[in-house]
Amino acid sequence: MVTLVMWTLIFEKLIYLAKVYPDQCKAYQATWRQREDKESWHAHQIRNELISKLTQDLRRSVPMIKSLIALCPLLGLLGTVTGMIEVFDVLAIAGSGNARAMAEGVSRATIPTMAGMVAALSGLYWAARLTRRVEKESRKFSDQLELTNA
Amino acid sequence: MRYLLGIFLSSTLLATTAFAAEPARAKSMDELLRRVEAGWRIDKSQSADREQMFKQAREQQKKMLDDALKLKRKLETQSKVLEEKFQQNEQSIAKEQSNLRDRLGTMGELFGVIRQVAGDTRSQLSESLISAQYPGRLDALKVIGKESTTPSIDDLRSLWLGLMQEMKASGEISRFQAAVVAPTGEEREQTVTRVGPFNAVSNGAYLQWMPEVQKLSELGRQPASRYMSNLNELETVNGQQVRAAVDPSRGSILSLLVQTPSLQERLEYGGLIGYLILSLGGLALIGGLMRMVYLLRVRVLVRAQCKTQTASDDNPLGRVMKVYQDSPGLDTETLELKLDEAILKEQSTIDSFLWAIKVVSVAAPLMGLLGTVTGMIETFQAITLFGTGDPKLMAGGISEALVTTMLGLIVAIPLVLLHSWLRTLARRMIDLLGEQSSGMVARQAEARVGD
Repeated sequence: MVTLVMWTLIFEKLIYLAKVYPDQCKAYQATWRQREDKESWHAHQIRNELISKLTQDLRRSVPMIKSLIALCPLLGLLGTVTGMIEVFDVLAIAGSGNARAMAEGVSRATIPTMAGMVAALSGLYWAARLTRRVEKESRKFSDQLELTNA
Repeated sequence: MRYLLGIFLSSTLLATTAFAAEPARAKSMDELLRRVEAGWRIDKSQSADREQMFKQAREQQKKMLDDALKLKRKLETQSKVLEEKFQQNEQSIAKEQSNLRDRLGTMGELFGVIRQVAGDTRSQLSESLISAQYPGRLDALKVIGKESTTPSIDDLRSLWLGLMQEMKASGEISRFQAAVVAPTGEEREQTVTRVGPFNAVSNGAYLQWMPEVQKLSELGRQPASRYMSNLNELETVNGQQVRAAVDPSRGSILSLLVQTPSLQERLEYGGLIGYLILSLGGLALIGGLMRMVYLLRVRVLVRAQCKTQTASDDNPLGRVMKVYQDSPGLDTETLELKLDEAILKEQSTIDSFLWAIKVVSVAAPLMGLLGTVTGMIETFQAITLFGTGDPKLMAGGISEALVTTMLGLIVAIPLVLLHSWLRTLARRMIDLLGEQSSGMVARQAEARVGD
């Protein structure tokens, strides 16, 4: 479930970067270009505002993706612990002789860890890429807003 | 001692003097001679008598010996006759037995099989719940199972009928009166509903079959309520279909189910550290939720503020803008400083308490780890005391170890999520204040200049 949410967020971000972001970027650039005054304090503040607005939109849900990735192994660990509890329940009732009864708990203990690891690792790459992309785009945008009257 | 000896000696002396005194002393030699002669005569006649007596006894004994010998001979001949007869009998027995074996033929094997089947069936039926409905059906099988007897036609029929009855009863749901042992130990006559050989239910409670005493007993602990919810329906319904939980393993799964601890008991396994983690997590969660409500409210207000020019006092952006509006005509540097001051003031209120959520979300798994370590210490103490022979003794410490870890994670996971979301909210708010508020102020100023 967490993995699903994470991937939804990642895809949403990718689509945003591909579709919505260029338009938004252009719109902001246009508002900046329309200004005649580009050197006063007021102009700098307004430029900062534009950059900040765009960066905020760019960065939205990236921290969430990161914390979800951090959460995946934790959830895996939780699954492991509940599985182990089950194993020891069986152990307390049936003694150590019944390996078959314990096997279910053991598999319940190991599979979530594996799933958590897989989800975290797969997410990690995309999270890193997204962060880099976001940083690059925001820098590029601030470069595009020239400070002097051309 | 010496005193005793003295008494003894004096008494013997007295006795000898008394003996010597009895025959009167002879007064002269003649008299003495006469006395000796008379004595001699008496002795002689006495010895002759005794000789006679001995002779008679010898005769008698000889006669008895003859009689005994005669009897012995007679008995010897009798024993010889009997011995012959015994041998004859033995031969005839052997002959008859071989005769029997010949005539029995394959029947012997058949009876062996029947005995085996009867024994198997008996153990099976005694384990089966259906015996509660038909008490006494095991007695007939007990007779067949015995080695010495040959099963009669009736016995065979009862075995066959018993098997058929078991088969038929396994496929039906029936209701009957039976004695049920309550958890308190008293026995009551109750209406029992039986589902095949799988479950027995009475008065909304699962029953257990005790093969050792051939009685039904109510389970002291009943399984979780979702297994119990349809029992009343099962007990009252007639002919319709009802959903109810059935234990296909004939009671063993049910007994395991009953032993699995409930949530409450699991929490108790966690001990002090478990409760500590839970209370800390609860506090952090309440704080986080309150923070969430505050931040969301602020966000709504700030958004409203973005759309209007008039600065209101109820939100951070409005307060920052008010700083500008309250001091018109300042130069830009002083204005920037004033704005920064206002923003810093707002920042601390927006950010407050987020650190606490962060700390709890990190500390909860660590406390879980602490609980794990204490649990493991307990386990190793159990091992040093009792050895590794009984895993059940170790299970207590291990479940404490695992439950605390689990609680730590359960507390940490929502808090991590909550914290990350709240931090995003707060950061956006602060960014908005720090980077955008001055822009807004600038735009307003320009607009005013433009006017």
